[in-house]
Formats: sequence, C-alpha cells, structure tokens
Amino acid sequence: MEMFFYGFMQRAFQASLLIAIIAPILGLFLILRRQSLMADTLSHVSLVGIALGFLLNLNPTFTTLIVVMVVAVILEYLRIEFKSYSEVSLAILMSGGLALALVLMSFVDGGTNTSIDQFLFGSIVTISPEQVQILAALCVISVVMYFVFRKPMYVLTFDEDTAFTAGLPVRLMSICFNVLVGVAIAVIMPIAGSLLVSAILILPAAIAMRMSKHFDYVILVGIVIGIIGMLSGLSVSYYAGTPAGATIALVFIALFVVTSIGKQAAKQFRKKNDIV
Amino acid sequence: MHYIEVENLSFRYEDEPVLQNIDFTVDAGEFVILTGENGAAKSTLLRNILGLLKPSTGFAKISPVNVRNEKLAIGYIPQQVASYNAGFPSTVLELVQSGRYQRGKWFKRLDKEDDVHVKRALDSVGMWDQRNKKVGDLSGGQKQRISLARIFATDPDLFVLDEPTTGMDIESRTQFYELLKHNSEFHGKGILMVTHDHEDIKQYADRHIHLVRKEDSPWRCFSMDSCKEPSKPHY
Repeated sequence: MEMFFYGFMQRAFQASLLIAIIAPILGLFLILRRQSLMADTLSHVSLVGIALGFLLNLNPTFTTLIVVMVVAVILEYLRIEFKSYSEVSLAILMSGGLALALVLMSFVDGGTNTSIDQFLFGSIVTISPEQVQILAALCVISVVMYFVFRKPMYVLTFDEDTAFTAGLPVRLMSICFNVLVGVAIAVIMPIAGSLLVSAILILPAAIAMRMSKHFDYVILVGIVIGIIGMLSGLSVSYYAGTPAGATIALVFIALFVVTSIGKQAAKQFRKKNDIV
Repeated sequence: MHYIEVENLSFRYEDEPVLQNIDFTVDAGEFVILTGENGAAKSTLLRNILGLLKPSTGFAKISPVNVRNEKLAIGYIPQQVASYNAGFPSTVLELVQSGRYQRGKWFKRLDKEDDVHVKRALDSVGMWDQRNKKVGDLSGGQKQRISLARIFATDPDLFVLDEPTTGMDIESRTQFYELLKHNSEFHGKGILMVTHDHEDIKQYADRHIHLVRKEDSPWRCFSMDSCKEPSKPHY
C-alpha cells in the first residue's frame, strides 16, 4: 500500500481510472467500425505534433491536438475514397508520420531523445495534475457523448448505408468521432506512449465483446476490465520496476487470452452438457 | 403521389457506363419489383435512388414527405445482409428496437407503442422466441429475417429492399410477400424490391421493371424493359 503515499502514484491511479472509462467507449466503436488500425495511425502521427511543438517552442500537447485533429479528418476522407483498401492509406500515414516526426526531431536543438522516448513509450508516473484534469474533462465529454449519441452511433456502427437512409449525417458523425479519438490519443499518448496507446484503447473493448451480448453491457464490462487491467498493470509495474504502459498492455493481452480460453471452455461445457 | 422518381438516370463507374436512360416512379401504395440478370446493376440503381451513389446524368429523388405530409421514413435492406458485422455485440431485440430510432427516437426513450411495433415485427418473421440471442450467433437465414423485422419495426413509408429473401425457404418467402402486399394495399406503403424470384412474386407485385442489356453498347450497360400492369392508384 506504500505506493499510495506517493503523489505521483496517486495521480497515476487517478489517470488510470479515467483512461479505463474512456478506452472501452472509444475502443468499442473503433473495433466495430474496423478502425482499430486508425488508433495506431493517429498515435504515430501524433509524434509529428510533439516534434512540431519542440521545433516551434510551443506546448507539445497543443500542437499534437491540432495535428491529430487534421489527420483524423484526412483519415475519414481516405476511408471513403479508398473504401476497399483503406489499410494501405493507414499504413502510409503511419510510417510517414513516424518518419516525419523523427526528421523534425533532428532539427530540434539539444538532446531530444529523452523527450521523444517519453512520448514513444509514455510515462504514467510522471503525469502532472494538469494532465489528470485534461483527462477528467475528456472522460466527462466521452461519457456525455456516449449517452447522448448512443442510438445514432449504434445504427452507424451496425451499417453505414442503413444509417444514411435513416437520415443520419453519416459523414459528419464519422468525422466527429475520428476527431474525438484523435483528441483522446493526443491526451493519453504522453501517459501510455505512442506505441501502446492503441492497445490500451482497443483491448478492454475487445475483451468485453467476448463476454457480453448486449451492446450497453459491453461498455460496462469494458470499463470493469479496463479498471482491473489498468490498476493491476500499474501495481505490477511499481513493484517489479517495469515500464507502466508496457505492463498494462501485457496485462490486457493476458486477460484477452484468459477470457478467450474461458469462453471456449464454457462453450465446450455447455455443448457437453447439452445446455442451450 | 410519387415516393420515388427516377428520370433519365444514367450511371457510370469511371468510364464504363452501367445504367442508361432509366425512367420510372414508385407511388405510395405501389409494390414494384426490379429484376435483371446477375450484374445488371440492380443494386447500383437502388444505391443511386437512395443517394448512396450519384447519377452521372439524370436524377433520382425520393419524396421528402409521405401522403400525410410528414417526414418520409425509408426502410432499406442492403444486399447480403447476413454477412455484415458478424461480431456485432447486440441481441436480436436490441437490433430490432434500433429500427424504431428513426421514428423520432434518436434522443428519446422507446415507449410502449415502440414495444408493440417491435413485438409485432419479430412475431411476423417468427423470431420473437430468439430475441435474446446474440445477432452474430444466428444463421444467415435468421439474420435475414431479423433485418426484415427491423424494418417492419420502423414501419417505414417506403421499403427499398435488395434481394431480401436470400436464404429464406419458400414458406417464409410467401409469408413475407403477403406481408409486403398487405402493407402496400392497406397501409399505402411504397415498395421497390430487387429480386430474382419474379415468378413467385408476380401475383403480389403491381409492376415489374426488368433491366436488360443494351444491345448497341460495347459495355455491360443496362436499360429498362418495363412490363407495366394496371397499377392501383389508391393515394
């Protein structure tokens, strides 16, 4: 329990709880819209924002937000234009974003390797009170938007053509969702790291989808999974001295494997005992 | 009253024309079937009508209002409905309830009237007992039936259906056609349905539009051959 006496760990736990609420809300829609790779792309491209921040001597969080929002809109355009092979444009943007970020970083004076490392791998224990406040605001926005737009998003996610004929502004909704994901990635990235942010967003929802057949319950189960994964990962990383973001991602993967095996075993059991 | 109006519509994919000179209307209370060989651009025509694709020339428009001057509600079933989003985490009941959202319930709770529509829709396709099953666990034919239930729950003014009976047995198909006929005849619904099943459905439909390949075109380009039978202008 000693870890709770440290201010940085208290903030880390607060941030973890907030991320655990945000992640399944965004993650579920990302998975169902087959945009899991988009989260990865945005997290790589967000490094350009970090590099621009250092280069222009601006707050990197601010420049990242701008860059990620612009790219989120571009991604929606590419998704529509290259519907049948949209992963190609994602792959180009992902590697292009990382390459551009590294080139821009080389123009920044002084040693920036530490800084870029921090954004690549993240550091939840160095989180500032301001970052916790921004996360809290993002959490409130995500939850409110989920409750307000749950029904339109359900139909949009089920089938875009059906949503369009039902009179929903499909394009606008998609862009707004992408921008929200972009903002979430920009805010979570310094904490979880560019390389792991998409895993933290996607995995709780992916696990919850295997455990619940009700749409709303998936989000709730995802939040519970998120809390278990984030808090246990953080605790393990504290005692084992391992990187927090990586440990959390590994805990989520372990949970995914365990629930998959458990579900398969339950299925076999039901089949064996003829339970419908 | 025209619910669908298509005038001199042509459509091309890049340089290749696939539809030319299409003209027809679908009125309130009219049941129209659209047929043609495989690849005859039937789905493309529906997508032009719905605004999912843009015609190269001419136009296709859907009336913004119904015969009561209220906002017209469209019920659309795309082709190969059984294949989409197999892992979608939703029960049959939730999916069919979502058909009610476009009836002014995007931001409101569903009420008792909605429950009645949902129950009736699920009963009409024989899926009420399966309402708590996960959508992804259903067979292709069952998925087809719940997508039909979903639009019956919407109770739209205009049905646009793209081969909706794929995977259904003859008995279910007949029941479905009778239900559509009842909806057009007694409730004034407009229906445009793509089908390969035109022999079975002939006795129910008011009009049959057949897309035929244009003989003078080097492309696989289709135009209309409309066998117009006396239509019943109730509305």
